[in-house]
Amino acid sequence: MLNRQTHLQRTSLNWLIIIGSVGLCALLTFIPLPNLRLLVPDWFLIWVVVWSVKRAWRQGLLAGIALGWIQDGLVAAHPSHAVSLALVGVLTALMQKQRFVSEDFISVALITFAMAIVQQTVIAIQMSLVSGFPLEEIWQHHRQVALGSAIMSSLWAPLIYAPLNRWWTWLQEQG
Amino acid sequence: MAFLLRWWGRYAGSFLLAALVLTSAWILRETNGAAIRELYRLLNLPFQGSVEDQQTLIQARTWQLEQQLAAVRAENQRLRQLLKAPMLPNWEGSIVPVIGRSSDQWWRSLLLGAGSRQGLTIGSVVVGNGGLVGRITSITPNTSRVMLLTDPASRVGVVVGRTRQMGILRGQLNQQVIVEFLEKDPKVQPKDVLYTSALSSLYPAGIPVGEVQSVELSDPTRPHATVILGAPIDRLEWVTVIPYAEPTDTFTAN
Repeated sequence: MLNRQTHLQRTSLNWLIIIGSVGLCALLTFIPLPNLRLLVPDWFLIWVVVWSVKRAWRQGLLAGIALGWIQDGLVAAHPSHAVSLALVGVLTALMQKQRFVSEDFISVALITFAMAIVQQTVIAIQMSLVSGFPLEEIWQHHRQVALGSAIMSSLWAPLIYAPLNRWWTWLQEQG
Repeated sequence: MAFLLRWWGRYAGSFLLAALVLTSAWILRETNGAAIRELYRLLNLPFQGSVEDQQTLIQARTWQLEQQLAAVRAENQRLRQLLKAPMLPNWEGSIVPVIGRSSDQWWRSLLLGAGSRQGLTIGSVVVGNGGLVGRITSITPNTSRVMLLTDPASRVGVVVGRTRQMGILRGQLNQQVIVEFLEKDPKVQPKDVLYTSALSSLYPAGIPVGEVQSVELSDPTRPHATVILGAPIDRLEWVTVIPYAEPTDTFTAN
């Protein structure tokens, strides 16, 4: 009985932390950085990478779609951010299985860097297909934002990764 | 004579000094104390221009200009009544703080700290110091999202103030704003001021938008000009929201 109760408590606390951290990422997207319009970290991308890095690809897919839809609501829904973030979630989860990289701050930063470029490329492809902007303009812009987003996101990724990873590791050990 | 010489010997120094003092005083008197005033200014420099003082002065100046404007506007209304000319639109709006910016790399919007409870509506026009900023596209009870003129999806019908040439202002992905002209040889040159046009359904006519920076006519299929917006969109802290109802339903969701 006691065991079940603590388990319930832990599960609800875990959900609280998940929702709280996603909410924090959503709030962070509104903070303006003057004169750094192209150099903004993509907090949703960071969260998806941090979530997926030790999980199955289905969970990564789910998180990607959910956060993509939240981002759609906050920014603009056409084209949807869910496609790129879902791909990021799946790829991050699969990357872990193949043991290419160990799980520490540096590798999380590197994965985030690669995933930011993947995400911006997917968005650029979506824009090319549906938006009607000149292709040249889209891909020129893609070059600028992909690198900027990758650098900034990978720099900030450990900040989100450290506490969440610690909590989830602890949760797993408690079993 | 000897007496005079002795007097001079004794008082020469004092006399010259007195003469010098009087001459200087006279010069100061004649120049309205220029040297003293200049010195005072020099000494006063470190204490001058504290921000609060300047703010007070700017506020006073703003108040004066507002009163003058109100007087001129009232006079204009009277004259228009006499001439039976159509009235100018009223741009009274509410002043609203900017509380956030979307940090998305592809879309650009502002977040305002007021929403439907403060009487704002979707389609309200947002103006900052310097000119048009954008329009409200989404609203919650206490916040509203503004689609900026720099957003790639933004389209505004504009008119060149000098020549009444029509164009379409559109945001670009690379932060720049351009105006595209329909005619192959638009009569436009740098420094021309752009206003919203009467043909634009989403915005009231006559709001200043910005200034033409350079004209690009080398591509005959797409004559366009780069525009510097009047409002410093990256640095806005307060904006004015003007209620505006769309005459037609041409709004596309974003």
